Amino acid sequence: MDSPFPPSSLSPGDGHIVVSLLPAGGSGLEAMTYQYPLKLIAPSPSIDQHSILVFILSYGGGLVAGDAVNLSIHVRPESKLSIATQGHTKIFKTPSPDITTRQNIHAQIDNDAGLCLLPDPVQPFEDSVYAQIQIFRLESRASLCLLDWVTHGRSARGENWSLIKWTGRNEVWLCAPKESGQERLLVRDSVILSRDGSQAVGRTLQDVMQNIAVSGTLILRGNMMRSLGEFFIAEFDTLPRIGAQDFRSPEAKAKAISGVSDMQQWRSQRLEMEKQGGVLWSAAQVRGCVIVKFGATTVEAGREWIGSMIMKEGSIAAQFGNQSLMCIR
Amino acid sequence: MASLHLGSDPVNGIQDEILELERRLQDAKERLKTAQPQQSPARDPGPHLAGSTHFLLLLSDSALPLGSFAFSSGLESYIAHNRRTATFSSFLSSSLSSFAATTLPFVLAAHRDPASLVALDDQLDAAIVCTVGRRASVAQGRALLGIWERSFRASQPDADQGVLRAFAALLREESKRDVPLASAHLGPLFGAICAIVGLGLRQTAYVFMLSHVKALISAAVRASVFGPYQAQKVLAGQQVQVMIDEMIDREWNTQVEEAGQTVPVMDLWIGRHETLYSRIFNS
Repeated sequence: MDSPFPPSSLSPGDGHIVVSLLPAGGSGLEAMTYQYPLKLIAPSPSIDQHSILVFILSYGGGLVAGDAVNLSIHVRPESKLSIATQGHTKIFKTPSPDITTRQNIHAQIDNDAGLCLLPDPVQPFEDSVYAQIQIFRLESRASLCLLDWVTHGRSARGENWSLIKWTGRNEVWLCAPKESGQERLLVRDSVILSRDGSQAVGRTLQDVMQNIAVSGTLILRGNMMRSLGEFFIAEFDTLPRIGAQDFRSPEAKAKAISGVSDMQQWRSQRLEMEKQGGVLWSAAQVRGCVIVKFGATTVEAGREWIGSMIMKEGSIAAQFGNQSLMCIR
Repeated sequence: MASLHLGSDPVNGIQDEILELERRLQDAKERLKTAQPQQSPARDPGPHLAGSTHFLLLLSDSALPLGSFAFSSGLESYIAHNRRTATFSSFLSSSLSSFAATTLPFVLAAHRDPASLVALDDQLDAAIVCTVGRRASVAQGRALLGIWERSFRASQPDADQGVLRAFAALLREESKRDVPLASAHLGPLFGAICAIVGLGLRQTAYVFMLSHVKALISAAVRASVFGPYQAQKVLAGQQVQVMIDEMIDREWNTQVEEAGQTVPVMDLWIGRHETLYSRIFNS
């Protein structure tokens, strides 16, 4: 029997978001469609909202083996979009290693527009197989903030990188406006965590990951992210030198701490937190982007660290609104 | 015909005859040996080594002036970050896995198609997202290009069909812009040059990985991890050979788009090399 509904142009797992500048100023949602197992929710915007907020959800809070999510995003000139999730994206166990769960994002960001993607981490369960490809095409004056992070699984159940395979690839392309066809690859950040791949050098994946429970990458590009990028680079440069000795007496140290600025106090607290949570991080300037890599011995320490860095600097909250930071709080 | 059914009899007869002749040949050889005892059996120098073997030895020589000795590929930083738990064998396997996964597909691709050198170099430049790692790769790549231009090319004029000449020209005209057109990373250049001087694909991959191991082990000796005899023992060990072969097999069909980091913490160690108080290496 023919369906009484008009045929859908979307396949299962497909989604589409278009954001554009409203005539009255501010960003508006021009289009948003999705198909099971993907679900998108855009809370009705408040009057003082800086950007459109969209939640990526999946039914049951996770993706089962063989699910494929394909999200395409277009952020039109001068508009802003924030994307968040509600809790970790769980990747369930696969019945067979050749069945892969996939998540793909293709985003186009136009001039003077910004996309801020600060989701919760992906949580691959034991024996899961997952592949993620996120491709961002930016015009020359577009801005992007992308956080991509993955945890070691359900630690309460004793999982520690017990997955079969996890691959994540993030590409940032610079495209000239007006379809001139000239595209340049700026950054291709790719991570492959594989049980078999580690076994090839005689190691288990847990062993190769050392004692890191969460591993993440932050990619920043464009005017809106410039000050945040500079902040990460500057903080990286001021990290205390490993192996340096402090020969001051305890009194001299206490005296030095009493007279310092808020910023220095925050920094020494953060450094203490990095030590406690086993946070390792580095920041680099690569082809006009800033790439921050981090790892931590607990998922919460990783979240606290990336959250405190982004919130202390403050420019994301100022431009995209506090709601864009909800997953890293 | 009767002979069809009795076919096994002539066969047996011939086999017997062969056995008999072989026995007699053996016998005659023995007698010859005793008859002329002072004559050494073979004076034939054997065939000449192929020209590519000559270049294989040059490119695998640690005296190749790439400046590899200046880099420890994260070993120094790994030791500083893991004072109590560091072991060379676990670093070696992590480093091999990481280096093969990120770089070997580019070496293989450049060997298979040297003409795509510029595109491969550009893609690798976008994929090394770590300041220290980029510096190490580019420094050695530029040195290798210099060796080609100043030393190898004279013996192989036009063997590269202008690919390397065009690449060097592109590199020279490069200004300090955000996104360079050419960077001269080691991996693709090594693959292309090996193809041009006639090394096989598997050979090239093996030399590339072995050079990495040699550089790591040499760095370990200078960082006082172990002494030179232990170093040779590791190098000669079965484990290194097996790991290199496993890595080449793992990456043989990996497209450069799918190359990636298999040891995320390696990026952190290499990236954080800059935060060491005292350093003896550049990476």
